[in-house]
Amino acid sequence: MSRSQARSCHSLVIRVPGPVDAAELERRLRAGAAASWPEPAARLRLWEEALPFTADHPAARRRAAAEAERPLHTEALPLRAVLLRYADGDADLVLVGRHEVTFDEPRFTFGRTSGAAARQEVAAPPEWGLGDPALAGRTGEVPVPLPAAVRTDDALLTGAALLVLARYGTGRPVDESQRATDFLAALRKADGEALPGIALRIDAARPGERRLPNLAPAVPAELHFLRHEDGTATGVLRHDLGAVAPVVAERFAGHVAHVAGQLAEDGGRTLDTVELMTAGEAEAVLRLGVTPPVGSPEAAGRTLHGRFADVARQRPDAVALTAGDTSLTYAELDARAERTAAGLAALGVEPGSLVGLALERNADLVVTMLGILKAGCAYVPMDLRYPQERLRYTVENAGASVVVGGADEPFPPIDGVRVVTPAELRTLGDGHTVPAQSEDGSATAYVIYTSGSTGRPKGVVVPHRNVAALLEATREDFGLGGSDVWTLFHSSAFDFSVWEIWGCLLTGGRLVIVDYWVTRDTDLFHELLVREGVTVLNQTPSAFAQIVEADRQRPEELSLRLVVFGGEPLDVRMLGPWFARHSHTDCRLVNMFGITETTVHVTAHTVTPADVLAAGRKVGAALPGWTLSVRDPRGRLLPLGVPGEICVGGSGVADRYLGQPELTTERFITDPYGGGRIYRSGDRGRLRPDGSLDHLGRLDSQVKVRGHRIELDEIRNVLLSHPAVAGAAAVLNHDTPGDSATARIDAYVALRAAVSTTDVLAHARGVLPAYMVPASVTELPAIPLTINGKVDTAALPAPEAARPAGGRSTDPDAATGEAAEPAGTLDGEHDRLTEQILGLWGHALNTEVTLKDNFFELGGNSLLVIRVLREMREKGLPKVATQDFYRNSTAGRFVELVRDAQV
Amino acid sequence: MTATRERTPRALLGGKTAVVTGAARGLGRACAVRFAEEGADLVLVDVGGDLPGVPYPLGSGSQLEHTAKLCRAHGAAVVTVTADVRRPEAVEEAARQTLERFGTVDVLLNNAGIAAPSGKAVHEIAEDEWDLMVGIDLTGAWRMTKAVVPAMVRQRSGSVINVASTAGLVGYRHFAGYVAAKHGLIGLTKAAALDYAPFRVRVNALCPGSVRDDPLNEGRMLAEIARSLEVDVDEHEEIFVQSQPMNSLIEPQDIAGAAVWLAGDDSRQVTGTTLTVDGGFSAR
Repeated sequence: MSRSQARSCHSLVIRVPGPVDAAELERRLRAGAAASWPEPAARLRLWEEALPFTADHPAARRRAAAEAERPLHTEALPLRAVLLRYADGDADLVLVGRHEVTFDEPRFTFGRTSGAAARQEVAAPPEWGLGDPALAGRTGEVPVPLPAAVRTDDALLTGAALLVLARYGTGRPVDESQRATDFLAALRKADGEALPGIALRIDAARPGERRLPNLAPAVPAELHFLRHEDGTATGVLRHDLGAVAPVVAERFAGHVAHVAGQLAEDGGRTLDTVELMTAGEAEAVLRLGVTPPVGSPEAAGRTLHGRFADVARQRPDAVALTAGDTSLTYAELDARAERTAAGLAALGVEPGSLVGLALERNADLVVTMLGILKAGCAYVPMDLRYPQERLRYTVENAGASVVVGGADEPFPPIDGVRVVTPAELRTLGDGHTVPAQSEDGSATAYVIYTSGSTGRPKGVVVPHRNVAALLEATREDFGLGGSDVWTLFHSSAFDFSVWEIWGCLLTGGRLVIVDYWVTRDTDLFHELLVREGVTVLNQTPSAFAQIVEADRQRPEELSLRLVVFGGEPLDVRMLGPWFARHSHTDCRLVNMFGITETTVHVTAHTVTPADVLAAGRKVGAALPGWTLSVRDPRGRLLPLGVPGEICVGGSGVADRYLGQPELTTERFITDPYGGGRIYRSGDRGRLRPDGSLDHLGRLDSQVKVRGHRIELDEIRNVLLSHPAVAGAAAVLNHDTPGDSATARIDAYVALRAAVSTTDVLAHARGVLPAYMVPASVTELPAIPLTINGKVDTAALPAPEAARPAGGRSTDPDAATGEAAEPAGTLDGEHDRLTEQILGLWGHALNTEVTLKDNFFELGGNSLLVIRVLREMREKGLPKVATQDFYRNSTAGRFVELVRDAQV
Repeated sequence: MTATRERTPRALLGGKTAVVTGAARGLGRACAVRFAEEGADLVLVDVGGDLPGVPYPLGSGSQLEHTAKLCRAHGAAVVTVTADVRRPEAVEEAARQTLERFGTVDVLLNNAGIAAPSGKAVHEIAEDEWDLMVGIDLTGAWRMTKAVVPAMVRQRSGSVINVASTAGLVGYRHFAGYVAAKHGLIGLTKAAALDYAPFRVRVNALCPGSVRDDPLNEGRMLAEIARSLEVDVDEHEEIFVQSQPMNSLIEPQDIAGAAVWLAGDDSRQVTGTTLTVDGGFSAR
């Protein structure tokens, strides 16, 4: 209430030289108000405060300012007069009036406006404000440091504010190719200029008075300028501390002043040559994003196998790998990898080659990976669950002539590519030695393929020294060492595994390899964490949410001391139940923002229970050796708080995209500020005054689903490659808003020929990995577009569940499922168990489910599998192995599976 | 006197306006000054002169101005209002001036009260003596609440603190009027708390034990109670010290601290309660 009262009032402070006759002053005030405000005038009273300090004491100014910001009560008189009498006889007369009262102070008369000032909409806090919501309603004030000599007019001041807001990304765009004089001339002709989120007021200055146009800013920030008779101006920025932080306000005021100075100085310059920041400020912002390297520069430049060899020499008998019942010591791992390397040499694979690696998560995966590096080659990891076409594309794009594949899951045959098993490689290597490789940290260690917007994945080339530097950056801070037990949880095709494998093996820890099916079953995984005494765990936030849930229900103690989140944005609120059970001093939780192109991680932020309450989007400061900056679309450095593209420099920047020089030039650029290479991430963020970064999502259509990085454009392009598809769109949806476990991709197609959407889906399934396959395909007459020609997601209808176009009975899968179901249960009565299962599925999938439906076709995913299994257990239903769920994913078969387990 | 404390946003009552009755001296002054220290602006209300029937001098106009001066030294803006809490027009004028001057009212400390005429058994109390006691100590608090609370209800926040006494919890021989008024005040507190809880306006009672009449605050209460009991003040102090397990008299500062807590947002879920500051007296 008092806030809206404050917005409805203005004030004026007038210095009254002593001696002051208060009674006479009160009489004059009453007389002055009598014409316009006869009734209140009679009751008008001059409130007096005798203050124990002189008029020039700083306390006097504070006291007058406080009085000038004190709103009127809604039922009080429309005008208040307070006389602050100072010890030296001088006084300040503070007048506060509602907006309909006007002050004409020389004669102490008070006019009347036609009505209250137009009610301004309360603007949302600007993204760049970094305000503290706890301070909302409190007002801050900073001066606008206009250069003293600058002669200004209203257009110049307006123009400066406009250009600053445009650069901040919240104002209307300004054509920066025009000359300053033309820009200002157009403003002079324009009839007032609305500034989004900012109020601008320019008054003629009068000596001895201080005026507040609004007691509290009606918008997040209010620029108030006073024009003096000599043509100069002074200004203040008053801001709501809940919307705009003091440091940001100070910088903003500085930018307005700096820009005004440049516009005044040289009218002939084009706007794009106008700098927002002074050189000093720009340098300070750059410095803020730099975290100097720590550890040994020599170690940070080495190869992975070189550093591994050191560890193996230091602790040959320590266990390096545990995979199920087998384990390998560092010496054994080293020896096997040597044989693998020798095998590759025997095959004629030259150092510097790229070698495909397509193995399940087992000991051989790590042995072979190390072997490839020892041979002086780089590995190209691939997930065998990807469609054959994607695997084939990857091998051909990488130009790999050898792929190491498993004996059980054969790699698809490709002309000119030899597929060998790890065992065959080792046999080939028996009796051979590997030619000694030079320690070249700049050599490529691996190439990992990530989703590409063109419809094809792109290979990111990462040198050894990047990973070595990552280890140097984190080893000491995280206290990584020989007593740690890590898990290899993630697919080797996801670069989180690079951190898991080398983070562990290069610091002497023990790496527990987690079987694929255990990664899909939270209970089994929790058992493994307990049994193996895992101390360092790396998880995507969505996966960790499942662990938090399992951990609540299980009595066993975890040995975790460090949990690293990566792969997708962390919603810290989900950690509430975790912190209720685990102290953050016993087990440190670190949120790391990272990108494949900058070597797994970029920043680290230790999450505390306080963060859970604040629910922010902090990802921390740059890792030692990494640098961060935020830039606008033209690549210009942005000030603190202003959102823009996150650019990453320093030790982690990858070499290039394999075979894509144009894309490489576009994304990996030479930093115009001081040189060095930086990667333009396409992620949106803002830098905080403490050097930490807030991650604000993507600038393009890239999305994250359960840790997987997906370009929606890639899905769209795959859909478009179907001959019958004329238009396509892919969007990310959540069945339950805010619940990342229910994230799903829905596709929309406009068809030029009569095909079923099932057909289109089958096509997508043949090219895309499972996590990218849309949960539904909905046919539309045309894809709705915005004015800018982008897909108008708001205009898309709700997705239809992925059902075959020709009706369910013709679906071959459903037909086979039907045969296995007991007769009479299809559309008739269901027994209790069936009801229960269909109910659980329906709840998880947020749709009606029949016995013929397939869990995954209705939008099911790995996290929802875990959720259904947990809810079944809570209802006392028998335990079903996750693996069996995947193999019996139509409802009818699943019910029978549960029925069998009950007996 | 010229040292003015910088008022920090961390002050417990920063930005609040508090109305304190019986502010000329004693507990009222101690609480007002402490409120000022914590950043509040103040409306100081006192009868500012003696009342017929009250056998001892009450707070004077100059004492009220002195309290104002002490508050201003802490940076507070202050309005003084001379008003008898038995007079509806005077009470309403005090409320109106509060809103005119400060635009808001956040705290009402109903502290005005008398301890005498007392020292008689129930059947010996005269009609006018009873009316005087209940009229000031109980009805005065009701009247102030009635005048001030509507503004608090409209702004959906506020804290009313009724200064009762351990005499609101137990009986004292020969103090029936006082004891009845203070028990009534606790009853008023609970009922008002329920009336205004939906509007986030809180009403609580504060029960001091025996408070020292320290010279700084020019308190008279203990002396008047002693006189009513026809005992020497020092002797009386001794009796009360012995009755309070912490073995000391309560200082005005102790009550002011409790009042600050009830006035501020730290107690935002506390309403209808009685906060007793009596060195353990009522624990026996």
